[in-house]
Amino acid sequence: MTSAVDKAALAKRPVMPRTARILGFAALALALGVAMPWLVSSKLTLSLTTQAIVDALLATSVGFLVLQNGRVSFGQAAFFGLGGYAFGVLVARQLVAPEVAFLLALALPTLVAFLLGLVFARIAGVAHAMLTLAVGQAFYEIAFRWRELAKGDDGMSFELPQRIFGFASSSLQDPAVMVVVAWSALVLALAGLALFVNSRIGQIAAAVRDNEERARFIGHDTAIPPAIVYAIAAFLAALAGLLQATYNGYIAPQMFHWSLSGTALIMAVVGGAQFIVGPAIGAVCFFFLKDFAGRFAEFWPAIVGTVLVAVTLLMPQGMVGLAFRLWAARRSKP
Amino acid sequence: MSANLAIQGLGVERRYGGFRALKGVDIAVKRGEIRGLIGPNGAGKSTLIDVLSGRVRGQPGKVLLDGKDISALKPQERRRLGLARSFQRTNIFPALSVEQQLRIASWAVTDAGIEEVMAELNLTALARTPAAEISYGDQRRLDLALALVGRPSVLLLDEPAAGLTVEESHGLATILRDLANRWNVTVLLVEHDMQVVFSICDGITVLHLGQTLAEGGVAEIRADKRVVTAYLGTEA
Ligand SMILES: Nc1ncnc2c1ncn2[C@@H]1O[C@H](COP(=O)(O)OP(=O)(O)O)[C@@H](O)[C@H]1O
Ligand SMILES: [Mg+2]
Repeated sequence: MTSAVDKAALAKRPVMPRTARILGFAALALALGVAMPWLVSSKLTLSLTTQAIVDALLATSVGFLVLQNGRVSFGQAAFFGLGGYAFGVLVARQLVAPEVAFLLALALPTLVAFLLGLVFARIAGVAHAMLTLAVGQAFYEIAFRWRELAKGDDGMSFELPQRIFGFASSSLQDPAVMVVVAWSALVLALAGLALFVNSRIGQIAAAVRDNEERARFIGHDTAIPPAIVYAIAAFLAALAGLLQATYNGYIAPQMFHWSLSGTALIMAVVGGAQFIVGPAIGAVCFFFLKDFAGRFAEFWPAIVGTVLVAVTLLMPQGMVGLAFRLWAARRSKP
Repeated sequence: MSANLAIQGLGVERRYGGFRALKGVDIAVKRGEIRGLIGPNGAGKSTLIDVLSGRVRGQPGKVLLDGKDISALKPQERRRLGLARSFQRTNIFPALSVEQQLRIASWAVTDAGIEEVMAELNLTALARTPAAEISYGDQRRLDLALALVGRPSVLLLDEPAAGLTVEESHGLATILRDLANRWNVTVLLVEHDMQVVFSICDGITVLHLGQTLAEGGVAEIRADKRVVTAYLGTEA
């Protein structure tokens, strides 16, 4: 009886503190990021960390589709590539001001994903995986074959303009700066996702994921909310592609390749796609495991496979899920 | 005359390939009435609810809500006009908590509180529990609660007591009768338990092989020879 009363009391708990908590965590994490260049002196470590963060953004993008739409995509790299290519091509040809190129590199993939999402959200399971794979590879083929666009399969280096948004762009290729930029982007992205999940449109999307038919019969339109989730996920992938292209001053068709999407998906699952931060944690762990395993690089695919099998069997909710379970178990012990 | 009618189906048809599941059914339920919809398995009761609620569209026939033709409207549009339904097979949001799914439902219709719906249907203690983890009986009441959020004007209930024990289903019937009265909801109720139908319904429509076999007050239907042979049997 008391437990019923407790639950009723819990039910009346306001949601406001949740928003405050999310923003508090984000502020803390941002401060930590700004301090990173002072805490770590090795340029190599900072550069590797930047790469790991870019991977984390892409994995977060793939994982968010699983979390909020219940959809497995094998084509998320298309938006990663699109973000990088839009920026690289526009800047290299000086078609628009670099700031406009920057914004277009984010807006274009987001819009494309929204429109595709209106259709893709209606398709589930294996068919969805195959469809996203096919669409993603179509982008890859275009980037690979269209030599006039960006030198086809050779890839294209490009010079950053002197200044972008008033900052010296050369600093964007300095790992001590880029690591802070990338980290801040990741933190803001995760906080944004957490706020979205708690928002009305985010909760309606979750209802549509859970039971599309009933969502209609309680009075909701079910096309737009999942499409917004696709758009948000693509925005994150494009942001990752944009950061990578800016940092390297280089774009190549591999940015679109399905194997990149697949790796991001594995990272998301290993980290725990049921949690907003799971995929990012999975990606960072993978990145440093890969670096650590460098000497056994030829066995890398086997290592990935083994980790994936171990995780799916031993921790179906990923690393974050396991951490939560252990924490809960500790707390419930007297 | 039709000013009194809450929900109407006119010449409603439904085909599955060559099979006619509904053969031009007319039904009209007065405002505030609880109408029982009975008939043997396969008579077309669920199919009729599907047509009225908009799950099925683009078939011959018309659906009117408060005298307005809503035949072309999608289910979500009909729900926002006050036409709600529940399902024969439990149709809820398994991963969402009881409270969260009711709140999401409230956003579509009004921002009215969901506390009263939870309280009326004995769900308050389960507010924070994911729907997948509550008992079957609680899930059936949650299915009903999802339809009741925002006090709809018309409620289409497809065997809300399916799978419940006799006591549970009689309890549910009492809640239903009481709420329909207090909230002034018109109800079309598909139900197999004749005790429930006879005790809470104002009128009854009998469907048989996709056609209306009989329609009238409770006493009238109980006495109807054709209904007794087609459906009720002798013991009713
Ligand atoms: N999806 C379907 N495809 C083909 N026939 C169907 C389908 N759904 C229902 N039917 C048929 O339509 C008739 C009416 O079904 P239904 O409305 O479910 O009956 P009731 O709810 O009265 O038991 C039945 O003969 C049933 O077999
Ligand atoms: Mg039925």
